[in-house]
Amino acid sequence: MPSTLTDAAAALRAGTTTSRALTEAAIDTADRLDERIGTYLVRFDDLALAAADRADAELAAGHDRGPLHGIPFGVKDILATADGPTTAQSLVLDRTWGEGRDAPVVARLKAAGAVITGKTTTMEFACGMPDPAKPFPVPRNPWDLETWPGGSSSGTGSGVAAGMFLAGLGTDTAGSIRIPAAMCGITGLMPTFGRVPKSGCVPLGYSLDHIGPMARSAVDCASVLEVIAGPHASDPDCVDAPFAAPPLGEGDLAGLRVGVVREGHFPDGADPALPGLFDDAVAQLTALGATVVEVELPYRAEMMTADMVTMAAEALAYHRTDMSTRWTDYFAATRAILAQGAMVSGADYVQAQRMRRAAQLALRGLFADVDVVVCPTLSVAAPPLAGYLDGTAEILELFTHIHTGYWDSVGNPVLALPMGHSAAGLPLSLQIAGRPFEEATLLRAGAAFQRATTHHLRVPLLVTAETAAA
Amino acid sequence: MSETDPVIDTVRALLAAAHLPASDAEIEAYAIGYPGLRAGVEALYAAPEVRYLDPALRFQADPGPAADWAG
Repeated sequence: MPSTLTDAAAALRAGTTTSRALTEAAIDTADRLDERIGTYLVRFDDLALAAADRADAELAAGHDRGPLHGIPFGVKDILATADGPTTAQSLVLDRTWGEGRDAPVVARLKAAGAVITGKTTTMEFACGMPDPAKPFPVPRNPWDLETWPGGSSSGTGSGVAAGMFLAGLGTDTAGSIRIPAAMCGITGLMPTFGRVPKSGCVPLGYSLDHIGPMARSAVDCASVLEVIAGPHASDPDCVDAPFAAPPLGEGDLAGLRVGVVREGHFPDGADPALPGLFDDAVAQLTALGATVVEVELPYRAEMMTADMVTMAAEALAYHRTDMSTRWTDYFAATRAILAQGAMVSGADYVQAQRMRRAAQLALRGLFADVDVVVCPTLSVAAPPLAGYLDGTAEILELFTHIHTGYWDSVGNPVLALPMGHSAAGLPLSLQIAGRPFEEATLLRAGAAFQRATTHHLRVPLLVTAETAAA
Repeated sequence: MSETDPVIDTVRALLAAAHLPASDAEIEAYAIGYPGLRAGVEALYAAPEVRYLDPALRFQADPGPAADWAG
C-alpha cells in the first residue's frame, strides 16, 4: 500500500492500484496487528469493500470525487456514523445516540468517496487514560507496544502509523489530535475553531472541541480538511469559511516569518533528544528560506489553566447527571478529570473566558510580527503504559510535558508533524501554529518541511516486520 | 492527610454538592491536585489587562432555527 494518501490517490488515477486493493491491504494489516495495537472498536470490512468497489467503478467511469475517493479512512468513535454504533469508548453513552446517522463530517467524507473502514479507539469521552477494568481495547503504540499511543484520538493515530488506513479523523479539546499524532509519528492538524462543524460529535468542551485530520503528511491533511471544512446549520460555532487546499507540491519558505517558542517547552525530564531535534527543525525551516525570531507565547500558563477550567466545567455540565448515578461505570481517569469541573465556580469559568479573550488579543499582536509560531508538541516521547494501567504513574507529571492546550484555548490552527526520534526510537513532534483561518500557511510550511525531510515516512519496525513476514 | 484535612474537606464538600459519589480514596487523590488547580484559577484574576475585557462568550436572543445535524 502507498504510504501516503496523496501517493495512493495518484496511484488510483494512474491505474497502478485500486480502491479494493488498498482496502484489502488495510483489512489484512488490521487482521495481523489490531489485536496487539487496539486501533479499532469496530470494523466495517464488508461495507468498506463495497464502498471500495463503488469507488473503483466510479473512477473507471470518469466520475472522480477528488483525492479521498477510494481511500481507506478511520473515524474516531465519538463521531456518529450510520454504519455502526457510537460508544465514545464508554459504558455510559446511550447507544441510541446518533444511531443510524452520520455526523456532518462523516457525511462529507462519504460524499467525497472515502472508504470508512471502522471506528477507532479513544480515551473515554475523549479524555483521560485507558482503564483496563473496562471492557474495551487498551490502545498501544505501534512504535513500542509497551508505550501509550497518546490520546484521546489513540486509534486514529496508531491506525495511520500501522497502515490500517491512510487517514482518519480525530478530535482535539486539549491536544487529542496532536498528542497521538506526536507519539505515533504521524501528522495531525487541529483546524481553527469554527472551521469544521462539530455537530454529531459527542462533546467534551463545547467551546474547545475541534475535529481534524490525522494522516502521514501535511499534504494529506490538506486534502482531508478541504472535504470536512465549511459551515453547517447544526453548528452555530461553525463559520462560513470553506477551505480550498492550495498547491503544496513545490516551493520554499522565502518570506515566511517564524516565531520560535522555547519558554516552558523544555522542562525538567524532557527527552534528551528534544533540544537538538527542535534546533534541527528550526534550522531546516531557515534553510528553506524562512526568517526566524525567538518569541514568547502571551499568557502561556493562563491558557493552560483556562483550557482545563473550561473543559472540566463544560464537560461536567454534560456528564453530571450520569456521573451522579453511574460513577463507577466511568473510567477512573475520566472521573478524576471531570470532577475538576465541580472545583471551579461559575465566576471562574467566565474569568477563564475573559482570559481567553486577552490571550487572543495579545496573540494578534504577536502574529503581526510573525506568520507562524513553532514549538515542540510534547517534551517527551510516548511514555510507558504500565504505570497508567496500574495507577502508579502520575498523570499530572505527564501534563507538564504536553504543550497543546494553549492552542485549544485561543482557537488558532496548529499542525503537528514528526521532527525525529528519541534515542529509544520513539517519535518526537513539532507544532506549527498560525493565525485563525490561515491553515494554508501552516500546511505550506509543513509540506516544505516534509519535502526536505523523511521523518513522517518512517514506519514502526513492528509494521515493517509484519509486512515482510506476510 | 487526615480525615480533617481542610483541603480534603473542601473537595469532599464540592463533589457532594455536585452529586458526584467519589470514594474516600478518590477524594484524597483529587485533593492533592486541588491547591494547584486553585492557584491556576486565582492567576486568571491577576492579569490587569482582563479587568475590563468581555469574555469569549456571546448570547444571541434569536438563535435561529434549530438544525438537525443529520438532516
